[in-house]
Amino acid sequence: MVVGVGGVAVGAEQQTGTGTAGPSRRELARGLLASAAALALAPVMAASRPVPPARSGGTSFDETYRGRRIQGVLLPRDGQHEGQLEDSSEGRRVAAGGEWRITIDGRPLHLMRRADGTWLSMVDHYTSYRTPLEATRAAVDEIGPGQRLRDLAPAPMGGGHPGHRTGGHDGVRA
Amino acid sequence: MAYVRKDVSTLTASERRRFVDALLALKRRGEYDEFVRMHIDYYTADGEDGLRTAHMAPSFLPWHRRFLLELERALRRVDSSVTVPYWDWTRNRTTTSVPWTKDLLGGNGRRSDRRVMTGPFAYGAGHWAIKEGVTDGRFLTRDLGRSAAPLQLPTRGELQWALDDPVYDAWPWDSTVRKGFRNKLEGWGAGSGSASLKNHNRVHRWVGGVMLGGASVNDPVFWLHHAFLDLQWYRWQRAHRSHRYLPAEPPGVADAQHERVVARHQRLPPWDETPDQLEDVSRIYRYA
Repeated sequence: MVVGVGGVAVGAEQQTGTGTAGPSRRELARGLLASAAALALAPVMAASRPVPPARSGGTSFDETYRGRRIQGVLLPRDGQHEGQLEDSSEGRRVAAGGEWRITIDGRPLHLMRRADGTWLSMVDHYTSYRTPLEATRAAVDEIGPGQRLRDLAPAPMGGGHPGHRTGGHDGVRA
Repeated sequence: MAYVRKDVSTLTASERRRFVDALLALKRRGEYDEFVRMHIDYYTADGEDGLRTAHMAPSFLPWHRRFLLELERALRRVDSSVTVPYWDWTRNRTTTSVPWTKDLLGGNGRRSDRRVMTGPFAYGAGHWAIKEGVTDGRFLTRDLGRSAAPLQLPTRGELQWALDDPVYDAWPWDSTVRKGFRNKLEGWGAGSGSASLKNHNRVHRWVGGVMLGGASVNDPVFWLHHAFLDLQWYRWQRAHRSHRYLPAEPPGVADAQHERVVARHQRLPPWDETPDQLEDVSRIYRYA
C-alpha cells in the first residue's frame, strides 16, 4: 500500500506534522491524497461548491448529555463571513463558513459532512444526522461506559505512514 | 490458477482455524493495524473537499476489492491455503449464526459495555487488542442487531433491488444519488434514521460496536462483509453484461464532481490500478 505516489515526498510532508500544533495525521493524509489527486488528475482546478448551511442549532452548543459534556463551536475561518464558500484547492475538511470544533468530555470528535448537508462522526461512520449536535449526541450513545474518545490523529510519524509498508506496487493486472 | 473464496458457513473446522490463525499472525506482526489505519485515512465524505475513493463514490467497489486483495495477499503469505470467506447476511441472519461462533469471529458483545467475550478476537483471549481505535477501549465491541433500537439485516429483496439496477452509478456519483447499483449497494438512503440505511451501511449498523465507526476494520467481520459485497459486484456484472463501471470519463472542469471521483481509466489511490483493471479479477480468485 503505497500512498505516496508520483514522487510525492511522503516523509518530508509528514514530518511537518510532528509539532504539537501541526495538522493531524488525518489531515495530512488528506493533504497527501489531495496531492496525489492533483498529480493524477491534472490540470489542477480549485473547484468551489456550495454546501448547505447547518440547520438549526446555531453556531455552538455546550451541554451534558447522558453524563458526558459535549461542546461544539463553529469557528469561522480567517477573513471569511459565515456562509461564504470555500476554496477547496487545499483539500482541507471545511464546511461553509468555517469548521466545527467538537469535544466529548474534552476529547475531540471528528465530524464529516455529507453532500446533503448532514453530518457523520468518527464514532458512527455509516449514519448521518441533521446537525452537528445530533451527530455528537449519537456518538455519545455509542461510546461505551468508561471509554473516552481517542484522537486518532497523533501517532508515530518516524516510520512513515502505516499504510505504506504492507504491499507494494505489484498490481492486479488480471 | 485462481483461488476460491467460500461462503463462511461452508468452511471446515480446519479452514476456520487457519483463517483465524492467519489473521492473528497479521495482528501480531502489526500489519493488521496498517489496514485499519488505511481505511480511516481514505474515508472522505462527499460534503467535503477532495477526491473520494473508498466511500460515497463510484470506486467504493473497486477500492474495497483492492483493499481485500491486499489483506488476502498478506494472509496468504502467512498460510497459502487461506482465502477471505464471505458472510451472506441474507441467509445467516441471527446473532448466533455464523460467523458469530467461537471458532470463527466470536459472539455478540456483552450488555454492559459491548465487549466481545467469546472467540479468538475477544480481548481476554490475549491476541486482539485494538490499537487504532476511535475510543481508548482496547477490546473489540459489538452490538449485534442494535439492542437499544433493534433493526434487521438487509433482506434478499433489498439486495436484489440493488442488483436489478442495470446502471452502475450515476451523477453526482456521491451519497445523494438515488439510482445506480453502487449507491443502492453502498446504502446511503434519503433522510436519517434506520430507513435510510441500506445494504452495506445497514450491515455496519447491525453489527455495531467498532464496525460502526471509522475504525471498522478492527472487527474482522469487515472482510467477510466486504467479500460478500464484492461478490455482488460480480453478480451484477453477470446480470448486466453490457454495462460497466461508470463514469467512463472524468467529469469535466465545469462539473461539480470534477476531480472528486475516479473514472474508469484513472488511477485509484493509493494503488496503481484503475477501476477498469479491477473489473475482472477472475484470474486471481472466484467465488464458490
